[in-house]
Amino acid sequence: METNMKLRTRIAGLAMLACSASLLSSQAIAQETIKLGLSIPLSGSGANWGIGSQWLCDEAAKDVNASGGVKVGGKTYNFECIAYDNKYNAAEGTKVAQTLLRKDGVKFIAGSLGTAPARAMQSLTERAGVLMFTTAWGPSIKGPKYPLTFTQMNTPLELVEPLIRYIKQTHPDIKTVALLNPNDASGQDVEVIARRVWEDVGVKVIATDWYERGTTEFQPIAAKIAQMNPDVVDLGGAPPPDAGRVFKELKAAGWEGVQVVEAGTGADGLIATGGDAAEGTYLGAAVNFDDPSATELQRRLNEGVKKATGESVNAIQIGFYDAVMALRAAMEKAQSLDPKVVAKALPEVTFEATYGTSAFGGKETYDIPQQILVPVIVTQVTGTTLKQVDRLDSQELKDRLQKAKQ
Amino acid sequence: MQTLTQLILTGLQIGALYVIFSLGLNLIFGVMKIVNFAHGQFFTLTALLIAVLYPYFAGHGFSHVMAFCLAISAGILASLVLGYLLYQFGFRFFQRDLAGSFILSVGFVLFIEGLLLHYFGGAVKSVPYFVEGSVSILNVNVTYQRLILIFVALVFTALLYWVLGHTKTGKAMRAVSIDHEAAMIQGIPYKKIALTGFLIATFLGALAGAVMAPLAMVSPTVGADYLVKGFIAVILGGLGSVPGAIIGSLFIGFIESFGGFYFDPSFANIAIFVLVMIALMVRPNGLMGNG
Repeated sequence: METNMKLRTRIAGLAMLACSASLLSSQAIAQETIKLGLSIPLSGSGANWGIGSQWLCDEAAKDVNASGGVKVGGKTYNFECIAYDNKYNAAEGTKVAQTLLRKDGVKFIAGSLGTAPARAMQSLTERAGVLMFTTAWGPSIKGPKYPLTFTQMNTPLELVEPLIRYIKQTHPDIKTVALLNPNDASGQDVEVIARRVWEDVGVKVIATDWYERGTTEFQPIAAKIAQMNPDVVDLGGAPPPDAGRVFKELKAAGWEGVQVVEAGTGADGLIATGGDAAEGTYLGAAVNFDDPSATELQRRLNEGVKKATGESVNAIQIGFYDAVMALRAAMEKAQSLDPKVVAKALPEVTFEATYGTSAFGGKETYDIPQQILVPVIVTQVTGTTLKQVDRLDSQELKDRLQKAKQ
Repeated sequence: MQTLTQLILTGLQIGALYVIFSLGLNLIFGVMKIVNFAHGQFFTLTALLIAVLYPYFAGHGFSHVMAFCLAISAGILASLVLGYLLYQFGFRFFQRDLAGSFILSVGFVLFIEGLLLHYFGGAVKSVPYFVEGSVSILNVNVTYQRLILIFVALVFTALLYWVLGHTKTGKAMRAVSIDHEAAMIQGIPYKKIALTGFLIATFLGALAGAVMAPLAMVSPTVGADYLVKGFIAVILGGLGSVPGAIIGSLFIGFIESFGGFYFDPSFANIAIFVLVMIALMVRPNGLMGNG
């Protein structure tokens, strides 16, 4: 009887000890978590991009945590991604920014998708001393006024020029181009650069038109473009599904020429809506991780995003993985979790991005190094797949890696 | 001349789709005096099911035509079931309540869109043309698929006119839309007529989705894009007026066609809103509305 009592007391004591230990350890884990905020579209037409982005942030956090976490000041931290739906508009973007910064107390934004919500986020992050990664384009979002903002993918300033020069070199006979862009900040940013570069390479811009996102009928504009018979139709910042519809209507109207979508982020939507009319289209912001040259990591991420969204990973989404890797490297280099200190360290580190070793640069363009240095992948639709036709590595990154070797 | 022919044909094609779509919206308003913002979801569900089921049937040995017919039938049937559920569990309680039905239908839009995104994913889906190729009409190329769209719009508009003018149910619907209380005193079963009207409207929304699927970007949000224009067509033509819906739809089709050609699609969209505002300033109840 007494023995039983003793045994029970021991078991109860052990149980209490185990409970206390687990409570303490869970508190310790909670203290050692670094929250990474995401402002992304999780509903509406941009939902697929958002869902894929969240999956990639989670996967990157999982990879970092599995490989020992983030080691700062003798402590080990784990990453955790917290995502809210910005519905791809400024109003929701503002709400998301308020929630992440005020309610969740996030100090690092691992990605803000969409120019309008990114601007809304930036208006708070810079004042609150929060470091933000964004996929937003346009030079106005960067510069010395915004030292805590970093871009996690190629923008038109990086990709339009090499792409157009490549196309002109491949098709030396082209003389005229017609431009069509969505009538918003993204489209306007691309149009200005594309128009300048086409003229620089000696191709005459014979028309530049605009359409609203959500346009369902492209037949009239296709009829107009076909009647002008340009050598090239450049759809600049148009999303791939819109581009597919335009090319399909152009084909029905009898036009045949060189098709370009500079900001085209993937072939799936383009082929889904354009069918065989998408054949031969050049894309500037698309990557094909089914390509034989893809690494094991790229293939794994591609499969994961395909499962989550039904589409292959695109260049916008992949930056969400790279941003997490960049953050880890900068935090460990700075040995600090102060966003301002980490932001200062970010341009000094190299890190393993999905494309290979990468870094931040772009001082010549933006006055401070805020732009991720990843290659411009020129791709072309061939049949039902996206073929990588050239990889134009950033000269700045090459120089930096060379210097690091010496 | 060739350009003019091209633009007129394009305007007719665009307008034809809005006609099918807006006739449904109008019919619901006529019999129940509500505006159903979830009407686009019937369009979306049908288009999505065709995009998913066509390759399934085609991959199981059915011919192209058979696979298409089965997918369209399944899509329309599913939309009718959805319409029935929305009526029974929602709109039935908000008849002739414009504000209540507005909030309810917006709630349905968010709920159904969420479900569609969850089950179908956000990726754009493709539906092949029912009939490939094109024909030259007055030196203008028109695809067979767009001719089918015009044909379907013509047939179902004529059929709706006939039903409303010559059948007992159609006459009852007209009576209900004029004065539902007087109609009930005359022995017209209002609830039954309201449900019938709602289901016919659902069918028209689903039909629009079926004929447009091969020409559109099929995604869980596609219906919302067409709803706005369909709604504008109804407002312009006059809520509750069938000829008004046709005129309003064709008006929008022609503005899109001519504006998109001579300016750009962005201008055409602005022009639609400006012209509709001017038209409503002159005739606040719409072109064919009688207040």
